[in-house]
Amino acid sequence: MMLLPCPWCGPRHAGEFRFHGAAGTRPDPATTTPEQWRRYLYVHDNPRGWQTESWYHSAGCRRFLTVERNTLTHEVRSARDTQLDAAPNAAEDAR
Amino acid sequence: MSEETVPLARSPIATDPTVVVAGWEVCARVSTAPLTLSDETPLAKVLVRAPFGGAARDALGVSFGRTARVGLGTAGEVLLVGSAPGEWLALGAPGTAAAIRAALEERLAGTGEFVSVLDLTHGRALVRLHGAAAPVVLAGVCGIDLADHVTPDGTALRTSVAAVVTDLVRDDDGGVRSYLLHCERSSGQYLVDALRDAGSPSGLEVTGFRGLVPSSA
Repeated sequence: MMLLPCPWCGPRHAGEFRFHGAAGTRPDPATTTPEQWRRYLYVHDNPRGWQTESWYHSAGCRRFLTVERNTLTHEVRSARDTQLDAAPNAAEDAR
Repeated sequence: MSEETVPLARSPIATDPTVVVAGWEVCARVSTAPLTLSDETPLAKVLVRAPFGGAARDALGVSFGRTARVGLGTAGEVLLVGSAPGEWLALGAPGTAAAIRAALEERLAGTGEFVSVLDLTHGRALVRLHGAAAPVVLAGVCGIDLADHVTPDGTALRTSVAAVVTDLVRDDDGGVRSYLLHCERSSGQYLVDALRDAGSPSGLEVTGFRGLVPSSA
């Protein structure tokens, strides 16, 4: 069983979340080439170790989270609200 | 000219026998069992969405994860639930949804924030699981720690209950464990069936509409 420490809801079963892949910056559709866009959509690093990922807490707070997870051990180093990334304590302050 | 018929609202949860209460067809059963499940769908349900942590939260007086009983003038007393970040659910007596909506809109008008207030009464299902053994039943269908020190009376959270996204609100009645479970209307019957299955070893019985527990209880 994998638990993800949601900054809003606390530790929850991973089944409550939707995995949205590695977190990264979306290329600008106006300037990117079709090949760059294809690579962004379909070609992923799939590292064995630490990865920064995007998860959506669909059965909880319904917020997007940025999670640092070890893909080998499933250890989670940090989980932050993506929209509040610049202010990691904002979730706590908003309670 | 034909006689005007009064519309009758039905819960998504099948009940037999039925009785009409405040324009809603509800279960007529009365159980005295220590562990009961009642269909509370007729309660007015009004959703508020606003920026979290802002003026709206201060105006409502309820933060995420907590509940409070609030007087809303003509709408009467409502149970205000901080169901998610920037999301509140107001539960009131049957037939008061329009008054609750108006009262909340008036209360939030001065915040200057973008706020939406929506009547969800007929779009959601609401049940109450009542009895000291309620945590035992819920433990079979959801993964939340329901110990007193983790989820005390007045706690609100959203989680997966029998794989249905459900707002779980602990709302003790006279010192007895009581949980309100609020989900999409289309999942209501399934949720009730799952709770009845999980509760049958504990002697869970279905009872009729109870209504909102008054704050003095």
